Amino acid sequence: MPVSIQFRQALGKLVLPALILVACGVILLGKADRPLIEKLRMQTADLLAPAYGLVAWPQAKLRWLSGNLQDIRNLEAENIRLRAENVSLRHWYDVAAALADENAALKSNLHWIPDNAPAFVTGRVVRDTSGLYARAVLLAINPDTAVRKGGIALDGSGLVGRVTEVGKRSVRVLLITDSSSRLPVTLESSHAAAIMAGDNTALPRIIFYPQDNAPIEGERVVTNGEIESLPAGLPVGHVHYLRPGQPVVVPAAALDHVDILRIFDYEDSVSPPDAPGRVPLPSVGRTLSLPSQFQSHPDQGLHG
Amino acid sequence: MKNFTPPPIRPGIHPRSGLGYLIDNGVRSSIPCLFVFFVTLVLSAPLNLPGQVELMPAIIMATIFLWSVFVPAFMPSLAVFVLGIWADILSFGPAGVMLLMMLIVHGVALSGRYTLARVNFFVLWFVFGVVMVGVTALQWVLCSALALHIVEFLPFVFETVLAIGSFPVLYTGFVWTYRFVVNNADPS
Repeated sequence: MPVSIQFRQALGKLVLPALILVACGVILLGKADRPLIEKLRMQTADLLAPAYGLVAWPQAKLRWLSGNLQDIRNLEAENIRLRAENVSLRHWYDVAAALADENAALKSNLHWIPDNAPAFVTGRVVRDTSGLYARAVLLAINPDTAVRKGGIALDGSGLVGRVTEVGKRSVRVLLITDSSSRLPVTLESSHAAAIMAGDNTALPRIIFYPQDNAPIEGERVVTNGEIESLPAGLPVGHVHYLRPGQPVVVPAAALDHVDILRIFDYEDSVSPPDAPGRVPLPSVGRTLSLPSQFQSHPDQGLHG
Repeated sequence: MKNFTPPPIRPGIHPRSGLGYLIDNGVRSSIPCLFVFFVTLVLSAPLNLPGQVELMPAIIMATIFLWSVFVPAFMPSLAVFVLGIWADILSFGPAGVMLLMMLIVHGVALSGRYTLARVNFFVLWFVFGVVMVGVTALQWVLCSALALHIVEFLPFVFETVLAIGSFPVLYTGFVWTYRFVVNNADPS
């Protein structure tokens, strides 16, 4: 179809403003329909996960090699240190064995119900998706494993984060340092409950702790079982004061270079039991009728 | 630094048209867009480079700015849009912000190109710096608005500084690409 040059020029001038309008639309769409955008991104990440794995593999090998070389250099000093540590550890081993025996004996006397072991899968971190305003990592997993949203990610030494998005071959783990991460924790020595709030720095803050029971420098921080899917007692880190009145958690997990993560599924470990004795609340617009055993009979009196 | 001037147009000389010529021409003209595409892809991989997150927008913006000023035919608006979507999908930030930034840089470069293509390199550098400061400020405002709280300011300053700092390197690369790859027929 022949079009005049003027018309074509006018059309050409309109393209850029139209595209900028579409970009604004994309921003609004991203705000309004977040799942759609997340799905698109996870599908792309799924496609690229093998390639990312290829990039990560030589890096891991290189790090292993350089670590090996360094180990060889420090062998002498390392040996001396290890010998000293071995002595102290042997002492602690004896203590632990004694305590384990005592614990077993006490538990058998108490009819202790053991916790069931949670299921977990392990995966390699293929990509750090931390941006300017988010702290998260992408984990490659086997397509056959069932990882659910809300799974708990731990590394060898402590809590790392929670699963926020699940793709076919990769999952995204929101780290505890992310600014949208809020976790209920218990401070082990002062027995205070508090909230650990990430703020995109390496050290998440402790907020909402009791004013008369301030956190103690160096005490251990563990999760508390306030929310389902996150059991009590997982190690998180220890308390440190950046300055008076500003306690933070130093995470036990190595969050700056997470390598291999275990995703635990605590989904149905603790579910609150039914409470048949409890009086149900009336729905709006109806009066409360008491269960039969509480209804007073005029001829019997309350005690029958 | 030597200033870049577009080569003079010599009328009357036309290469023979054919399939080989078409493919050759197509590859040459898509080099800037392919460069941005692969930079986005590579810099989103887990390379563990320091400042990798901030480096990606810096390189993308400088490349788009240069090509939009000097050879807008090789960096059309529609291509910038597609590359923006691609960068947005790979970057896990708020959707569309990166796209908008790229389009704005492209638009500014396009509208001022008759002046910008003739000015001294240092003036061009300064103009790019001003554009980058404006665009990054817009990114910070949008990110804060979409996250509903004030996000940290320093990474954005770092991003701007990185973009301004990498501009001369990309300019040199651009001049080289233009002389030896895109405009190969030019004997100078």
